[in-house]
Amino acid sequence: MKSLRRDFSSDPHAANVTSKVFVRSTKSGKVQKIVRELYLRQDIPCSSKLCSICPSVAPADANGNIAPFVLSESPAGTSAFPRGHYLVPDTNALLNGMDLFEHTGAFYDVVILQTVLEELKNQSLPLYNRLLSLIKTDEKRFYLFFNEFRLETHVRRGQDESINDRNDRAVRTVAKWYSEHLRAAAAKKGKKEKSLPAIVVITDDKENLRKAKDEGVTALSLSDYVAGLDDSDRLLDMINESREAREAKGARGELFYPEYYTMSKIMTSLRAGTLHQGVFNVSPYNYLEGSVKVAAFDKPLLILGRDNSNRAISGDVVVIEVLPKDQWKTPSTKIVDEEAVTKNDNPEGEDTEAVVTEREKKALQEEVRQAHGKSTEGKPQPTARVVGVVKRNWRQYVGTVDSGSTGSQAVSGRRQQTVFVLPMDKRVPKIRVRTRQAGDLLGQRILITIDAWDRDSRYPSGHFVRSLGELETKGAETEALLLEYDVQYKPFPKSVLDCLPAEGHDWKVPASKDDLGWRGRRDLRDLLICSIDPPGCQDIDDALHARQLPNGNFEVGVHIADVSHFVKPNNAMDLEASLRGTTVYLVDKRIDMLPHLLGTDLCSLKPYVERYAFSVLWEMTPDAEVVSSSFTKSVIQSREAFSYEQAQKRIDDPSKTDELTQSMRTLLRFSKILRQKRMDAGALNLASPEVRIEADSDEVGDPLTDVKTKSMLATNSLVEEFMLHANITVATKIFSTFSQTALLRRHATPPPQNFEELTNQLSKKRDLRLDVSSSGALADSLDRCTDAKNPFFNTLVRILATRCMTSAEYFCAGAHAEPEFRHYGLASPIYTHFTSPIRRYADLLVHRQLASAIGYEGEDGRATVYGVMTRNRLEDICRNINYRHRNAQFAGRASIEYYVGQALKARGEKVSANGVDGGIDEEGYVMRVFENGVVVFVPRFGIEGVVRLEDFVLPSDAGLRSVEERRELVVHRQSDFDNEEYTICVSDKGHPQKERSLTVELFQKVKVNVSSVKEQGGRGAGKRRVRILVLDGQ
Amino acid sequence: MSAQRQASSASQTPHLSPAELSYLYTSLSLPNAPIRPDGRSATQFRPLAAETDVLPGANGSARVGFADGTQAVVGVKAEVEKTVLGSDTTAAAAAAGDHDGEGVAGGDGQAPGQGHGSWVQMSIEIPGFRDDDALPVFLAEMMREPLVESVSDAKGSGGGMTGGLKARLVINRRWHWRLYIDVLLLSQPLSYPLPLLSLTTHLALLSTKLPKLKSQGEEDPFFDDDWNAAEYLYPRSATPSLKQQQVRPPVTLLVIAVGENVIFDPNREEIAVADTVLAVSVTRNDGSDGLKLLSIRTVDPPSRLTQPGVPNAENAATGGAATGGGATESGEVPGVWRPRRGGVKRSTIARMAKLVLQRGGVGEEVLEGLEGVQVG
Repeated sequence: MKSLRRDFSSDPHAANVTSKVFVRSTKSGKVQKIVRELYLRQDIPCSSKLCSICPSVAPADANGNIAPFVLSESPAGTSAFPRGHYLVPDTNALLNGMDLFEHTGAFYDVVILQTVLEELKNQSLPLYNRLLSLIKTDEKRFYLFFNEFRLETHVRRGQDESINDRNDRAVRTVAKWYSEHLRAAAAKKGKKEKSLPAIVVITDDKENLRKAKDEGVTALSLSDYVAGLDDSDRLLDMINESREAREAKGARGELFYPEYYTMSKIMTSLRAGTLHQGVFNVSPYNYLEGSVKVAAFDKPLLILGRDNSNRAISGDVVVIEVLPKDQWKTPSTKIVDEEAVTKNDNPEGEDTEAVVTEREKKALQEEVRQAHGKSTEGKPQPTARVVGVVKRNWRQYVGTVDSGSTGSQAVSGRRQQTVFVLPMDKRVPKIRVRTRQAGDLLGQRILITIDAWDRDSRYPSGHFVRSLGELETKGAETEALLLEYDVQYKPFPKSVLDCLPAEGHDWKVPASKDDLGWRGRRDLRDLLICSIDPPGCQDIDDALHARQLPNGNFEVGVHIADVSHFVKPNNAMDLEASLRGTTVYLVDKRIDMLPHLLGTDLCSLKPYVERYAFSVLWEMTPDAEVVSSSFTKSVIQSREAFSYEQAQKRIDDPSKTDELTQSMRTLLRFSKILRQKRMDAGALNLASPEVRIEADSDEVGDPLTDVKTKSMLATNSLVEEFMLHANITVATKIFSTFSQTALLRRHATPPPQNFEELTNQLSKKRDLRLDVSSSGALADSLDRCTDAKNPFFNTLVRILATRCMTSAEYFCAGAHAEPEFRHYGLASPIYTHFTSPIRRYADLLVHRQLASAIGYEGEDGRATVYGVMTRNRLEDICRNINYRHRNAQFAGRASIEYYVGQALKARGEKVSANGVDGGIDEEGYVMRVFENGVVVFVPRFGIEGVVRLEDFVLPSDAGLRSVEERRELVVHRQSDFDNEEYTICVSDKGHPQKERSLTVELFQKVKVNVSSVKEQGGRGAGKRRVRILVLDGQ
Repeated sequence: MSAQRQASSASQTPHLSPAELSYLYTSLSLPNAPIRPDGRSATQFRPLAAETDVLPGANGSARVGFADGTQAVVGVKAEVEKTVLGSDTTAAAAAAGDHDGEGVAGGDGQAPGQGHGSWVQMSIEIPGFRDDDALPVFLAEMMREPLVESVSDAKGSGGGMTGGLKARLVINRRWHWRLYIDVLLLSQPLSYPLPLLSLTTHLALLSTKLPKLKSQGEEDPFFDDDWNAAEYLYPRSATPSLKQQQVRPPVTLLVIAVGENVIFDPNREEIAVADTVLAVSVTRNDGSDGLKLLSIRTVDPPSRLTQPGVPNAENAATGGAATGGGATESGEVPGVWRPRRGGVKRSTIARMAKLVLQRGGVGEEVLEGLEGVQVG
């Protein structure tokens, strides 16, 4: 019997055809063998500007242009490579040192192989995305070389060769090819070989290094290469240490944490319903208590303690297993702060540690006692433990080096040591970082990243990325905020700015109506339109008008800046805006979604100039009943830009009887009717603790005068009502056209159990009932929650009620059934965002959809298709803008909080007596009572803060004010906490007499002293925080 | 009706005249030294060319071409499938308390490891036949049966194949592989295609790989995405000396008896005059060196359907007496073709089996030849 083997060597065509074979497992459980053909080519350029061969063969686009070459002709070198070098990193080098590759001080002219990029994609998606954006930027000169498609560099996997070995070989093959290729190119040009840059493979694989040596390829490990650079100490800190450390430690380490289940076991059990999946959230008050909301339970499952949370970090998508019923517990009633509990941990030592230290155990045990003690209210909740992590949502964290962990030799020398970094986000555990510059980093805001959290390590390990600057400097703190909330704050790249109109600030509405820009636009320039905004507003999104029609009805118009005219879909500007999602407002800074030129000039509906607008026009009866509504693109000319106050004054001034004022009065009258209608329908009047900072006041005087609580004028609500009305009208219109892909906004009805605790507290403390059966009922019962002696009580309840609700979200109409579209807070069956396209991306999309819906064609006749989008794409966008929107709010709040702290500090420095800051006495309200402290809300500054036992000022120690003095008190304090009555009585140990103690209860108005203090000595030195002292109850 | 009959018999009967049939029969039945029309010896096979892994998208494949121009391609595809818990397993679980012995024999712990014959599906495509014609259906079943029913007796030595192919397809209690064996005859069935198809299927199965399982125990299966890590359906050992002991898929051989002679690998003409046509399935018996007989099926010999020759004596045209019809029944006139009738002698069957199975016999020769084909 003869066996035939097909011999490909003789076939000239077979040489450049090969195939890639792999196994694909589909979601439905199918397992397929996939064969992909690969046709190798020889026209993939090396992209070196030195090369004289590639430009002639590189593929050209339709215009005959070839992609510009990336790699510099005179790349930077090091002492080892004086002629310069091109770097060829392998996958591990990128995994371990992505921060280095992003560093602007080194790592230029890098060849990224397709092989490496694909491998990286499989191992870490975030790193892959970072690498992609690196390749996209021009300044770092990263070139993606498609080595698998080029005949010379394609590597066929040998018999019994592992994928890893094959990929390593591919890297070496490319390095070899590059040097030969450049030599050939140089020879052709007649250049000397000596001047050619070296090709340096960067790999941490010992075997690969050895083979490279054998094959005559220059290869270095990442740390060896970095050691040869200037500033190597700092750069070496940026290498991911986890791998190396693990190798060094070997099997020695004791395993603290249980192993995760295997992926297949997890998948099987998830399908079977014995395990659950959800996002791990850590309580802001107790770092040992996490919760996971899963579909199978209506209340979140508690995860108590480090061994149960099993290396999950807040934000991770985890898989959990419910614990047996006898281990169920009540949620914690205690404030547990990681810094305080674990302050003595040594970052270097591992051996003596247990996962759950005695101290932590104690902190938890008291809760168990609680759960068993009074069982009426404290019903145990199901608890669970983490058995697997589906997706790590680790990001870069901003933090400070824990000064207590640096050790005595901190300042001396450059020895590498391990320190703890305390992240700004309290829910993230401290991170062990190895650094050579511990001394320098003390007192700095630094950016770090988590590399790994192994079973044999109590804390995650990470590495230093960069320093943001000194603590408490404006630049560092602002950047820290933006990084923490993932706000994209880099300046707009050139590609985005290129999308702006060429005329710049000189752009004008075309004078001739025959111009293309007028196509499909109504001329509304003769209408008396004005805008009303906060003072100093530059990005004016909206303007209004009202006029009487001959038939006695009124025409009311809302005109919105026509941003979609300037931002065309899918160009660089649109993509950037969709990524940013929203403009972020900080106290002293605004991070725009769109470039300045559009936001504050071309789109902004500035007064006295003609602007493009998108108008919603209603015909209303004098009773504000809508007769008809219409939408049109238009050209308007705003007559005046008012601030809320100016507008209010003008309306109130009886001497003004001009048409503009009259129309504003009409608008105001209508807005009141609309508001009443909305309230009757059951809209909620919610509250959030908002203060406004006017940053531009003079230097002298009390800095705290800048901090103002927001005042509500009738004109505020005038604008708000019409915007709501426009949004609702538009939502109805786009939904009727795009029944699946309309971009809408909903506010889900919160489940009643969310309100359980608040209802309980109210009935206990104030004998008030909260009816949560519907939004209308809730609105009514909130109105009844008043306290004659305490006017702020109502607002306090509203703030608390708001926190019980879900947050509103953007969604795509196809994603929910129509009854689910409801906006709970506004009591509207359908809602969207249309009125602020300059600062929200959602509005921009809605503009495009509305333009399509009304058949507006635009200048190029294609506007009708701009609004059309696939549902998948839209859902991706919704996910992103929801996330961005939430983060923008958090960042804004954090910014205000920071500013208030700074104002307090400035005031403290000005009025301090004997160097001790006396602070400022204010009114505060108790929001939450814990076993060892309370949370107090101070409306004057819009801040809430934790008050620990030592910060209750008892008659005996009224004179002690400094941080140190008060800390001494900790050991003497005792508290008597009543879980059901929500009261806490603080007293000195051994002196439980009434007159020497202080009792505080929920909702109580208390007198507090607010000051900004700096921690002195010991751990967390130099960290500033706002301290609240409770002086006495009133 | 005639098409039906034709299909079910061993092959399309060649249009040979009774005289030709008679001539053929005579030369093939020469005692101890049959003279075959193509000059082969009685046990000689036609040369063939084989190639494996011809279909990149399949889990395993082979192509075999005989010298007479017939060619077959076989592709094997494997799919993961959820095991429908049979009533016996559930019954076993339910009847843990009151076990009444009968009917639940398979239920106690053995069932999950055994697998099921229906997990192997074979379809045969022959040009000119519908897929529900008798020939393809019959052939498929003839090859599938030994495939799934061959279970090794020597426990533990099979290198993962204890329990045979069926057991190999079990992933765990809830999941199994389903094997689709698609057999495609590329040419007209010049001779009875069974040996060709069987050899091709054998090679295809040898080259079949299944993705490597990464999950354990009763978990939902989860596989290594590296195809190079995939494992052979019929496991191999690295040491060549042990090759003989490897478990191999069975081979079905076509054997005919003409007179006293046993002839292997018959061509179409030879089948047409055979007294007996047998399909013999054998496999290596792991554990021992010898071969194991899996099945013998008789195939209806087409010689039964041929027209008889008319002896001169009875032929009116040649002047024979056309009087007595009765006399002709008895006498066998040499040189005149008579369709075969009656059964097969026990001794003939025994001889045929022995020739296949004996040490150094035809079966071993074929299997060795197949092992010589490079696989993978």
